[in-house]
Amino acid sequence: MLTKLAMTGFKHRWRDYLVLFSGLIMSSAIFYMFEALATNQDFLKQNTSISMVGLIFQFGSVLLTIITLVYIGYANSFLLSMRKRDYGLFMLVGARKSKIGQLIWLETLLVGITATIVGILVGTALTVGVSQILINSLGLTLHHFAAWYTPAAIATLLLYVGLFLIAGLFNLLSLTKTPALKLLHSNDQPNRPQLKPARQLIEIVVGVISIAIGYWSMANLKILQLMGIGIALVTIVLGTYLLFNAIFVWLMVALKRFSFAQRGLNGFTLSQLSFRIRNYTKMLSIVAMLFALALGAITVGMGFHSQIPSMANINNAYDMGLVNASTAEKAQIAAMKPKTTATYHFKATKKVVYFQAAEFNRQPFTTIHTRNKNQLTFNTVHNNAAKLQKSEDNYQLMQLQSGVMATATPVFLSKTAYAKLAQPEQRLTVFTTNNVIEHRVALNKLAKHHFHTTSPEQFGGRYAMYLMVNGMYSGLEFMGMFLGIAFLAMLASCLMFKILSGADADQHRYKMLDKVGTTRRQLNGAINKEIAVLFILPGIVGIVHVLFGLQMFKIIMVTSPYTGIWLPFLIFAGLYLLYYLITITIYRRIVLQ
Amino acid sequence: MTTTPIMTVSDLHKTYGKAGSKQYEALKGINFNVQPGEFIGIMGASGSGKTTLLNMLATLDQPTSGEVTIHQQPITHLKGNQLADFRAKEIGFIFQDFNLLETMTAYENIALPLSLQNTPVKKIKPAVEKVAHQLGIEEFLSNYPNELSGGQKQRVAAARALINDPAILFGDEPTGALDSKSARELLDLFTKINQERAVSILLVTHDPFSASFCQRILFIKDGRIGQELKRGDLSRSDFYQQVLDNLGTFEQ
Repeated sequence: MLTKLAMTGFKHRWRDYLVLFSGLIMSSAIFYMFEALATNQDFLKQNTSISMVGLIFQFGSVLLTIITLVYIGYANSFLLSMRKRDYGLFMLVGARKSKIGQLIWLETLLVGITATIVGILVGTALTVGVSQILINSLGLTLHHFAAWYTPAAIATLLLYVGLFLIAGLFNLLSLTKTPALKLLHSNDQPNRPQLKPARQLIEIVVGVISIAIGYWSMANLKILQLMGIGIALVTIVLGTYLLFNAIFVWLMVALKRFSFAQRGLNGFTLSQLSFRIRNYTKMLSIVAMLFALALGAITVGMGFHSQIPSMANINNAYDMGLVNASTAEKAQIAAMKPKTTATYHFKATKKVVYFQAAEFNRQPFTTIHTRNKNQLTFNTVHNNAAKLQKSEDNYQLMQLQSGVMATATPVFLSKTAYAKLAQPEQRLTVFTTNNVIEHRVALNKLAKHHFHTTSPEQFGGRYAMYLMVNGMYSGLEFMGMFLGIAFLAMLASCLMFKILSGADADQHRYKMLDKVGTTRRQLNGAINKEIAVLFILPGIVGIVHVLFGLQMFKIIMVTSPYTGIWLPFLIFAGLYLLYYLITITIYRRIVLQ
Repeated sequence: MTTTPIMTVSDLHKTYGKAGSKQYEALKGINFNVQPGEFIGIMGASGSGKTTLLNMLATLDQPTSGEVTIHQQPITHLKGNQLADFRAKEIGFIFQDFNLLETMTAYENIALPLSLQNTPVKKIKPAVEKVAHQLGIEEFLSNYPNELSGGQKQRVAAARALINDPAILFGDEPTGALDSKSARELLDLFTKINQERAVSILLVTHDPFSASFCQRILFIKDGRIGQELKRGDLSRSDFYQQVLDNLGTFEQ
């Protein structure tokens, strides 16, 4: 009977349960996505040349676990506050406390397990989807990547079920120890925002120092190695929390002194915020961290992505060199509409390759001269025979002729000297397309056809270099983009969940405002402003964290991690804005009638 | 010599429920007027329709048919911004459960209608302090509602209701949640502001003691206005006795 009553309560509050479930499912899905990479040792080893990556991921797991802990704490208190009144009522009607305790424990566990299992499935689906999109659009090659990875699923299940067991126990104790009357009247009474200036000043100072230490340790990973990441993790999380705790409460209260606070609903919005922010500090700190992680991951991923063509292009001016190309192969080259093609005749011994000077005077050979290795800047030089003979970059010609491992040297002879040589004459055809990545499928086909392999050590040119660099960096690029998207989704669901779970309490406030005579426009404006502040504050903190955090990647990236950061920042800002718009739309629908 | 009524109610009907399903007629044709500066009460038991009537008058709900005018303006079909402005400027409302915003101080709660109407900031402070002085709550202005007693909260709500100098003040069981001392203080306050500020007050109550403070009482039963009692020159305690006697016979 009691179970039936509990079920009807469930049907009444389906909207609240929807918010709760979607939040928990997103959380477990993203945890799974992260673990799908982190627990897959083969994937990590095979896809990066950096030994640290495995441990970096473990740190990441720790951070994510902390975030999950706080998130589930919030979700649980939301669940409990939803049901308190109902269970109080049951007690009043004569249900036994032990039975009530049983019910809430079961309900908590049921909610938890269902959300986790669905979350793991959603996570797997998302992993498949996102990875396919990334692999196809970025042209990546990955080894040992598995969308379904059992250890990841087990890790997720263990963590979440464990946390929900604890939560269930907490709820059980909470309900059975509270008298029924208190449960019936359980209402969140806001407290006056406590301003203890001394304590807040200490919090600010400690917070700033903490974050400064974190930034310093990220910039000096060379000295600190892995310890640096650990230090950064602890100090930045702590510092962010203290800052939110101290500064923003003070800020909201201080803003009230200005005259703009007395116009329209601004006073109301500031009051809402000063009560909310105290309640929200943990969540806002988490959102700021996730923001930094997401933005940082995407920036690094895109950084790697832009490096790949640059590194390929700096290697050689030509895409590929084919010795004695067949007619079919020549047709394949023509189909790619190359910018330049050239054919040079040669005769080769083991140590020397003899070319005709006249051919190079007629068709100059372009070499790439690197100006700055760190910036990947270069000059293109057009060489005639004499210039090419003296050039330090003439190994580029040899790579096209006999692969990356070329050891022979080129010599340019007159026509008569060349004619005297006894070795058989061969042809070297070189060509350049406008974009290696664009033509990668055709180039791959050509390489297979001519070299019977796509192993880039066996041939030379831009395409070979692209394959090598891509192999090296694909993994990192994929991780960056994949995790960036995952963290962004988690961030948004955290923030949306927290904001929307407070919507019910706001309903009667907005009704009251309506009775006193507020226009729809004023009400919408107040909602927009309040939620905008809750989005912007962690955003700003997150951006600052990222700008300093990119220092960490100086040691594994060739170019500066800051090159072209406007692009990922812009994309991220767009997505963040989208989440904001979705949140205010849903909020309005819940709160305004 | 007739003065123009501050509020007129003509043939007000309210039926709940859709056509076809079970319908319930809560108001079956209400007619009365309120003169400027009048302190009028509407008395009835629970289920008599008095809260429904009050919701119609205060623009919180719309009648099925009939017309209400306040300050010669028909209010039943006001919508959107017009309605919001009307609520802010012409009427004040005092609820049984205070309905103050717990996240704002007493001062901010009282100033709210002025802020909403974009009153210049310089004018807000003197206006709030003036009405707070009149209602005897200046010392609580910087407190939050959860730091105030029930009586104090109602006085803050009254100050908020009065700050825009409304044409009429509506009260829905304003003493319902108060102890007897605070209730008496609040009703004395209503009498005072009715006389000093000449603001009309319409009180809805089932409590005879509250009703005895009114100059005129309309009895509502089963959706219709029955009897009417005028205080005239009677003292309040005599009027109270008359109300009690009337209630006894009214119920029969």
